[in-house]
Amino acid sequence: MNRRSLILYGVGGSIVGAVRAEPAGSGVTDTEITLGMSAAFSGPSRGLGIELYRGASAYFQHVNDQGGIGGRRIAIKTYDDGYQPDPSVKNTMTLMLEDEVFLLFGYVGTPTVTRVLPMLKKFQDRNIYLFFPFTGAQPQREPPYGDFAFNLRASYRQETAGLVDNFVRIGRKRIAVFYQADAYGRSGWAGVRAALKRHGERIAGEATYRRGTKFTGTMRRQVEILQKAKPDAVICIGAYAACAAFARDAVDLGLRVPIANLSFVGSENLLKLLTEEREESRQYTDLLVNSQVVPSYEAVSIDAVREYRDFMRHYDPVAPAELVKEAYSPFPHSFVSLEGFLDAKLMVEILRRLGDAPSRDALPRAVFSVKDYDLGIGEQVSFGPTRRQGLQRVYYTVVDEGRFVPLDDWRERFA
Amino acid sequence: MKIADIKVQKLFQKTLFGVFCLFGIIGLSTSILLIYTVNDYLSEEYEDNSKDIAKTIADSSVDILLNRDLAALQSLIDQFVEIQGISYIYIADETGEFLAHTFVPGIPEEILADDPTSTETVERNIDGMGDFVEVGSPILAGVAGTVRLGMDTGVIALKVQRAIGRQLYLVCIIFAVGVVAALWFVKLAANPLRDVLAYAVALARDEEEEASSRSRVLERKDEAGHLARLFLYFSRGEALDDDAPPGSTGPAA
Repeated sequence: MNRRSLILYGVGGSIVGAVRAEPAGSGVTDTEITLGMSAAFSGPSRGLGIELYRGASAYFQHVNDQGGIGGRRIAIKTYDDGYQPDPSVKNTMTLMLEDEVFLLFGYVGTPTVTRVLPMLKKFQDRNIYLFFPFTGAQPQREPPYGDFAFNLRASYRQETAGLVDNFVRIGRKRIAVFYQADAYGRSGWAGVRAALKRHGERIAGEATYRRGTKFTGTMRRQVEILQKAKPDAVICIGAYAACAAFARDAVDLGLRVPIANLSFVGSENLLKLLTEEREESRQYTDLLVNSQVVPSYEAVSIDAVREYRDFMRHYDPVAPAELVKEAYSPFPHSFVSLEGFLDAKLMVEILRRLGDAPSRDALPRAVFSVKDYDLGIGEQVSFGPTRRQGLQRVYYTVVDEGRFVPLDDWRERFA
Repeated sequence: MKIADIKVQKLFQKTLFGVFCLFGIIGLSTSILLIYTVNDYLSEEYEDNSKDIAKTIADSSVDILLNRDLAALQSLIDQFVEIQGISYIYIADETGEFLAHTFVPGIPEEILADDPTSTETVERNIDGMGDFVEVGSPILAGVAGTVRLGMDTGVIALKVQRAIGRQLYLVCIIFAVGVVAALWFVKLAANPLRDVLAYAVALARDEEEEASSRSRVLERKDEAGHLARLFLYFSRGEALDDDAPPGSTGPAA
């Protein structure tokens, strides 16, 4: 198992006011608060874990540079799960029982998180909470596991509902689904199904792929299955490598309909695969529409976006070298790293609300005290016992001049 | 033919042939019996296990289905499909709509054409996937849907082949040991016979020197000794005395 403990020490901060240490095993010392993270740092979806980590690191490094929280610096203990459930479960066991981190933060993926949630319930006497997983699935938002997780991003239900509503509004009612054959894919599939049902429609066709499929793999069979359904649009619920392969083969086989992707896809990585070393790349991207759960990182008029861009430029964070075994070129900015940045920003705010003696059992109270909090993106964040998701808004983007930009007019683009 | 060339070849050949036949029959019959026994046993066991698993999934699915949490439902069946032999699982609601499944790249036509709410056990061939035994279990007495799962019969066939392979391996070893043992026993029986035969031929040819050199056979207490003494009696017309000490009725020295 790959492991690394990254302690995000700043250079200028001094330890002040660290007066009380929590009992051993609480993940808090006089000088440090340790968060635990298991994410994909290897495999075809490694871009998601790496970018999420980079965005969060940028903010945590900034906070540590300012002296930390009550004199305690923030450290992240990271493990690679390769976006696979079993390693994710093992990593979580290690984080909870051996590393004894204060809380879990920034997990990536539905199939991983859905397997971890029962562990949190099993060890509920330890009051370990999962904060801001990079997934919009329902299990961590609803009973019986909703009490053990706090979400920032909008759900897949909201993303798929938005996509379906917009497609139906412009007359594209025959919607097919291409999805990953696991809990993530099913979560998105269920969202599309429910949204279509509200419009009196059903899923026109469906095709699946195995988690971990690479861009070099073929999706021709999946395209052929969906072509038979004669869809007006396809909604993809997958990771960037497989979704890029699908978009490529769809164009190559003549399936010229809008292809939508959810925020989880990792838009920049998807775009890179579809355009890199490819002539006529525009044909592969002009019908793409990606939903996002954070605003565009190009929208510099937004305070948090400006802050994010400054911190990313200033700190230029890198993923733990021990975990990143395969070549990866990070993006200066991305939707995923912006989400990681916002996750970290809210995490810091919650940790601050714990006061000088942070304890796990005080975490829910601290989270629920967040009411109409301005994260800097123009949407207020609120939590409560029955509201375990901070943000609700979904954004839509299309590719223009080789980058994802906000979609203003669906009808003009896709009608 | 020289007396030294006398061999009991036919007896040996027949014995060896008999051993071959015997082991062939044993090997063939036990293999056939094994195929049927193992195949029946494993098929029955797999089917029973499949039904148990389907029932477990069905029982576990009730709350999840009622909570409409299809991601958790998918996660549940994904864990079960990792069990050896289970090739696919699908869950349909009471109307027959597929709510979760493990098929890639899509639900096969053979399954789409069938009734997903049935709980009957069926044998199914799916194009490009293979042969399966498919069992079903109702969720909440069927009012919440049905779980169906397919067990790969190829796994059963593979286990049968392995069992037969092991059985044949054992039979081959027993056969080899049997042949060696048979050869040894044949040799044990053939040597005295050869001596008697050589002695009888020497007597018949009236080759006294040769008969004298082979007279040790007369000392034997077994059937070979009796035969040798009988031949000597016939050749000389003397009375047969079984109680005579070894060598007392031998040819004139």
